[in-house]
Amino acid sequence: MHETLEIRLTVNERSEAVRIEPRETLADVLRERLSLTGTKVSCDAQVCGACTVLVDDLAMSGCTFLAADADGRSVRTVEGLARDGRLSPVQQAFIDHAAFQCGFCTPGMLMAATAILEEHPRPSRDQVVHGLEGNLCRCTGYEPIIEAVLAAADAGTVDEGVAGW
Amino acid sequence: MIPRFSLTRPGSIEEALDAFDRAADDVAYLAGGTELLQVMKMGLAQFTTLIDLKGIAELKGISVLPVGTLRIGATSTHRDIERSPLVRERAAGLARLESRIANVRVRNAGTLGGNLAFAEPHSDPATFLLACGASLTLAGRAGRRELEVAEFAVGPLATAREQDEVLVEILIPAARPGEGRAYDKIAFFERPAASVAVRLTVVDGSIADATVAVGSLTDTPVVVTGAGGALQGAPVLGDGFAVALDAAAMALGGVEAMADLNGSADYKRHLAGVLLGRAAGVAVREATAHA
Repeated sequence: MHETLEIRLTVNERSEAVRIEPRETLADVLRERLSLTGTKVSCDAQVCGACTVLVDDLAMSGCTFLAADADGRSVRTVEGLARDGRLSPVQQAFIDHAAFQCGFCTPGMLMAATAILEEHPRPSRDQVVHGLEGNLCRCTGYEPIIEAVLAAADAGTVDEGVAGW
Repeated sequence: MIPRFSLTRPGSIEEALDAFDRAADDVAYLAGGTELLQVMKMGLAQFTTLIDLKGIAELKGISVLPVGTLRIGATSTHRDIERSPLVRERAAGLARLESRIANVRVRNAGTLGGNLAFAEPHSDPATFLLACGASLTLAGRAGRRELEVAEFAVGPLATAREQDEVLVEILIPAARPGEGRAYDKIAFFERPAASVAVRLTVVDGSIADATVAVGSLTDTPVVVTGAGGALQGAPVLGDGFAVALDAAAMALGGVEAMADLNGSADYKRHLAGVLLGRAAGVAVREATAHA
């Protein structure tokens, strides 16, 4: 028998208890045990940002974050962004600004963007660029993504009813 | 996938040392994991036991000691340091540097202690801490000892830390009156291609003394004595400053730089010369702002 441990965490506000091996990453647990496959794994080296998830509101690389370290913490993934069938402002802005083509980087981009907007509700362009520096996109050339995040910031400010995203 | 390992989560340094004693040969301390888990995944290192230090209260926190020394607990993340009002006030160059390490995810997970203990030749903070004359505390079975950062890294991925020793804290001396400390880098990838840290003191409009440290060019960050010497005595305004910067950049010509993915040795020395000018300018501004 290999060593296992039970972790308790919330994922998109749902309590979960999962028995894992120490070597399992958060991305492994989300994808393989909780069937939350929105989180992608690409470079597996913390460089591309496809696996970006929020742990206690901070952007982390799910590919290199031990699931054991999520014990007792709150995890958010792309599956948790929409509320009651309504996309979050940043998700809607990605559609409106054509901020994705193939879509593989999009879940990570959305989570990174969400973290930026929660920290800086009215970010400067520099703050958006700085916050997205570690998320790679091979389709868009980044401009539509930056525009979408800035637009989402404006949308979020106007519609205070969605301040919780 | 990361190869199998056993995980221990001690709550104190004493418990960590006990766990170390109980473990088999292939044991390592784990902090943020941004370096360690990566090399394990890549098969470059294998450990059957990891001892997680993140639950140890003594390794956390940022504070100012009575003598004015800035004390940074080893498991403080890059983000903790970047955001710390104490660091911003007392070592602004470090706060700025930390805000530019790798990417936001690495800054949220990675720790200063882990960065130094891993001793990657392209470490950002090691170069700055070297120029500042910072030190660190290690705790092991044989007791505690304090080492200069200059004595800590002994080669690429190699430090003076004994296997059982836990890196407890990093200690940065208070800036003296008229002292400025700054760092700059050029990075094409996640890690710097070249980096320079400058610590200098300005007295009556001239540089009284200066230390220049260069990172990412050599196996470990190095102090370039000739470059610091070239700045000494220079006026901080006018042509005299530019002439001294040129001389300091010339002194970097003696650094035995290694070529890598970022470019040739000559190119990296050139980058360091440019960065030296920028960092020195920021250090002078910080020094004269305090005066």
